[in-house]
Amino acid sequence: MIGHFDPKQYARSAAHDKDLGTPFPTGTALVNLEIDGITITVPEGTSVLRAAALADINIPKLCATDSLEPFGSCRLCAVQVEGRRGLPASCTTPVVEGMQVTTQNERLAKLRRNVMELYISDHPLDCLTCPANGDCELQDMAGSVGLREVRYGFDGENHLQATKDTSNPYFSFDPSKCIVCSRCVRACEEVQGTFALTIDGRGFDSKVAAGQDEAFMDSDCVSCGACVQACPTATLMENSVIDHGVPDRSVVTTCAYCGVGCSFEAQMKGDKLVRMVPYKGGDANHGHSCVKGRFAFGYSSHPDRLTTPMIRDSIDQPWREASWEEAIGFAANRLKAIQAEHGRESIGGITSSRCTNEETYLVQKLIRAAFGNNNTDTCARVCHSPTGYGLKTTLGESAGTQTFDSVMKADAIIVIGANPTDAHPVFGSLMRKRLRQGAKLIVADPRSIDLLKTPHLSDAQHLPLRPGTNVALINALGHVVVTEGLEDKAFVASRCDTEAYQSWRTFIADPRHSPEASEAITSVPAEAVRQAARTYATAGNGAIYYGLGVTEHSQGSTMVMGIANLALATGNIGREGVGVNPLRGQNNVQGSCDMGSFPHELPGYQHVADPIARGRFESVWGVKLDDEPGLRIPNMFDAAIEGTFKALYVQGEDIAQSDPNTQHVEAALRSLDCLIVQDIFLNETAKFAHVLLPGSSFLEKNGTFTNAERRINRVRKVMPPLAGKQDWEITQDLANALGYPMRYAHPSEIMDEIAQLTPSFAGVSYEKLEVYGSLQWPCNAEYPEGMPTMHEINFPIGLGRFAITEYVPTEERATRRFPLLLTTGRILSQYNVGAQTRRTDNQHWHDEDILELHPSDAELRGVRDGDWLGITSRSGHTVLRARLSERMQPGVVYTTFHHPGSGANVITTDNSDWATNCPEYKVTAVQVEKVSQPSAWQQRFSSFDKAQRGHLAKAQQEAS
Amino acid sequence: MSNNNDANLVRMTNQIATNLGSGRDEEAAAAAICRHLETFWARSMKQRLVASLALESVEFSPLARRAATLLATRLSEQQVSR
Repeated sequence: MIGHFDPKQYARSAAHDKDLGTPFPTGTALVNLEIDGITITVPEGTSVLRAAALADINIPKLCATDSLEPFGSCRLCAVQVEGRRGLPASCTTPVVEGMQVTTQNERLAKLRRNVMELYISDHPLDCLTCPANGDCELQDMAGSVGLREVRYGFDGENHLQATKDTSNPYFSFDPSKCIVCSRCVRACEEVQGTFALTIDGRGFDSKVAAGQDEAFMDSDCVSCGACVQACPTATLMENSVIDHGVPDRSVVTTCAYCGVGCSFEAQMKGDKLVRMVPYKGGDANHGHSCVKGRFAFGYSSHPDRLTTPMIRDSIDQPWREASWEEAIGFAANRLKAIQAEHGRESIGGITSSRCTNEETYLVQKLIRAAFGNNNTDTCARVCHSPTGYGLKTTLGESAGTQTFDSVMKADAIIVIGANPTDAHPVFGSLMRKRLRQGAKLIVADPRSIDLLKTPHLSDAQHLPLRPGTNVALINALGHVVVTEGLEDKAFVASRCDTEAYQSWRTFIADPRHSPEASEAITSVPAEAVRQAARTYATAGNGAIYYGLGVTEHSQGSTMVMGIANLALATGNIGREGVGVNPLRGQNNVQGSCDMGSFPHELPGYQHVADPIARGRFESVWGVKLDDEPGLRIPNMFDAAIEGTFKALYVQGEDIAQSDPNTQHVEAALRSLDCLIVQDIFLNETAKFAHVLLPGSSFLEKNGTFTNAERRINRVRKVMPPLAGKQDWEITQDLANALGYPMRYAHPSEIMDEIAQLTPSFAGVSYEKLEVYGSLQWPCNAEYPEGMPTMHEINFPIGLGRFAITEYVPTEERATRRFPLLLTTGRILSQYNVGAQTRRTDNQHWHDEDILELHPSDAELRGVRDGDWLGITSRSGHTVLRARLSERMQPGVVYTTFHHPGSGANVITTDNSDWATNCPEYKVTAVQVEKVSQPSAWQQRFSSFDKAQRGHLAKAQQEAS
Repeated sequence: MSNNNDANLVRMTNQIATNLGSGRDEEAAAAAICRHLETFWARSMKQRLVASLALESVEFSPLARRAATLLATRLSEQQVSR
């Protein structure tokens, strides 16, 4: 024995930077073995390859990588094991107590050279001009095994002339460089779960093929990049690397798209971002990515980026370029004048769920401390505000209860009103992995979502309910649990408020909530509801995941409470594998809520009327704060139209496109005397603005985002802000101009203030984030490393509280005039209002919003695929192209709102959730008919859009 | 426009009453609705709602009216205590 290595001591960062060859083992018992004379202790189930790599004994390998199960095809990692015959592949050989392994001797060296020689005999020798030069595992291994000659020559049959597939806009597939290691095929299966790739043919003819030997773009490929990530050669290569060469530095940061919050390495050459590579050390994504985060970053350097502040007196005028000082001064003077004339409460602001925690915190601080009122709100108003209300009422905290990884321990998964494979793709892949392992799936959704088409799905139940009947369905599920004796009585007795539980039990046991009675409302067969309830309650670990299909209803808050009731009644709270999990839409929706964006709550969900909490803020902020809640976004619009609300500061949010009843929103924006928009583009809202402050992209700033699992992740600046300022600096300048001093030198100082004032963030600091990578709040003295699973011992309100959830039908009903129900959603390639993704090659997948309708509804109206359809609701009228789809149920139509000209929100109404005013996007009664021209709104939109772009172009021309 | 806004606030209150009313006796329900308005509504909205108790153009549900009346009492008590 010449040394002893204990992998437990192995530094965290090093483990992420190095490919250990095979995945982390599931075993816990420790095994001792000897590799090249060094004694190594590793968990049972570890491969010899991984054990060796942990001790820095690097066995050559090609088909092995630690994101994939071992495959044993390349034979390069062969080793010699004392007492065993032959030379086994170390990737597929598990460690055994007392094993003695030799990784290097003459026999092994010869074998590896021979293997490598065969590979290279069918591989182009163009290393110097190859895009993978310097970043190629084949090249490294040829060097490592000491290959010096290829005795076979290159004249024999080969694949060197194979045709390149350049159909995907982001990566190329060059089969001439392929060594058929199957890493891409396995990544597509094991990591992404799409099964778009396969090995076609046998023996020498084996080749990687997309779909039925199609071009990548014509196959099922979703462009997640897992294959590109797994490829050890230049076969699957980012076009940006082909164009610009291998990056020379790398910074770990957090994706600015959805609420999964994936960690990425931003790989740079100087100030240029060459590629985004999913970071293996990211606890939300473990090295996986989707088409948005991995590839759609080109918007950050798009020519449409605003780079200079602009001002104007009225929105009919052209813009005028201004210095930062002039623009900030102009904005501050207007705000002060308006407050002097119309009162303290006549102005407000909207924080951004795309900006960092620090920036959001600063905007609400500006509003509360410098504006002197609580008129602050955020886009969560229109997405997850019912989650805040519903979960706080029942469980005591406005957040999801689990980590993403928790899904790997779930036995039954209910997905309600969420579409994770499109809207939260990296988590969708993880969920699919668990479903392939045998977890049961229940989907409650009006549409047949792609999750139901998961390859190798074992047990899937679809409850295709009518839009707007969620609460009737959840009550029916609760009814079955109670009346069939499926409750976890011990959990309820020890963890829940008895009185509230008894009232709920009496309420829910009433026959009017039975699946048979609610079938007439939901149109879901009673037996299917009974089966789903039994599956969820008896499978072991039952987990509920939900999205905006739950919250964006007139009873969104009621539904969230209904979900919590179901989880409490079955004891599916407080451990791994269970829980209530809201899937958050935008990257920092959780953070913007945590940071006090809502008009009634200071950071950390502390009510403004609470004198103790408010007092702490008053003493640190040095100002008296209003103890009454302020206006919510829709209330601001109403007040603006009425003339009592006159100015609005909007950071990174496009209310003119994303909020419902567009014409109402436009009327509100037009009535403002001063609209200040801070954004990276001239978005739809900015076209109504008087002051335009150019913001910075996530690549241009420091800060933190908080994802849907409460995980606080660092955002790191990799390039200077295009317009010169990070968003927090702009807010700080505005505060100073208004006479309220802010003096932060770095966002870490803002985080220190947040930690000082927010109990759930008390233990968070940038220093700690450097050490741990990320932290899940609450993070404080009691939980210094954060809390992955919530409510394990008790609830923040002590006992869990069941809530009475009476079903109240929405006022928005299908009628003879509007016989169809429109519901809205998202697709994979575009993000939210599309401001970012529309300015990337993601347009190749979805360049317009489409109205999906069932063939029977289409037939009734003589509609064929591709026809222009006029869609009319009581709010408005717009025109979209039709797509016939069996995913829809008859009577229900569907669209997205990624493109402003579509006017999807011209149709949606101002109906909203009773508790939070979250709009009812998911239910709008409409009629559709064939038309031949755009709607009147679309024509007005088009000319207004043209005029406003002209105003901007004029200012830019004059300045140059 | 202002009539519209009054009607809108009353409609919102009616919806809150419908949702918070079930499973509670009337007194407890009115208290819960009033507490909801106090917790989530802006000062101007609360004042406006209370003022619309006197309007004939708006239609309060009986429970919503009781809650709004309770709110009116509480607001005037706060005025006095200040």
